[in-house]
Amino acid sequence: MDAVTYPNDSVVEFIQKHMIPLRVAFDAKPLSIDFNVKWTPTLITLDADGKEHQRTVGFLPPEELIPSLMLGIAKSYFNRERFIEALSTLDKLLTDYPKSDSAPEAIYLRGVCRYKNTHDAKPLKEAYEQLQTKYPSSEWTKRAYPYRLL
Amino acid sequence: MGKMIIWETKMDVALARAKAENKHILLDFFNPG
Repeated sequence: MDAVTYPNDSVVEFIQKHMIPLRVAFDAKPLSIDFNVKWTPTLITLDADGKEHQRTVGFLPPEELIPSLMLGIAKSYFNRERFIEALSTLDKLLTDYPKSDSAPEAIYLRGVCRYKNTHDAKPLKEAYEQLQTKYPSSEWTKRAYPYRLL
Repeated sequence: MGKMIIWETKMDVALARAKAENKHILLDFFNPG
């Protein structure tokens, strides 16, 4: 991460604009115990109350780290039922990083956000159809499979 | 020299900044070697 991802200008710019970067050693107590850290790098997205919303383990290149962080932020908004902000973040992720590993989950979560925001089931079916077309082998396409019947 | 990430090292400082700046926190557990 230090050699490739963190020095990347786009990564620096994204983190400066959207996040507070906090770095601690994997064995620093009590945080490593509190967050049950077993391997490095472990990257966790927290809200401003310190609540965890996403974690990844292992190296991520710049073109995967940024959408992964965007997904974590979107999940934070979703978990707090701030669906408009979640949707805005997910739309940005899918516009800027449609080929990233985070994109299929973003499509799934966008469908769920739109459903929760409107109580209209149509976005769930649309999410499945989009996933089936763009990412047919994704686990998120499988998870959305029941929505084809809506 | 290019731009670089300026990391916080204390959770309480990061939380205070996150609230004040309305941002999320990226918590990186790393191996200092």
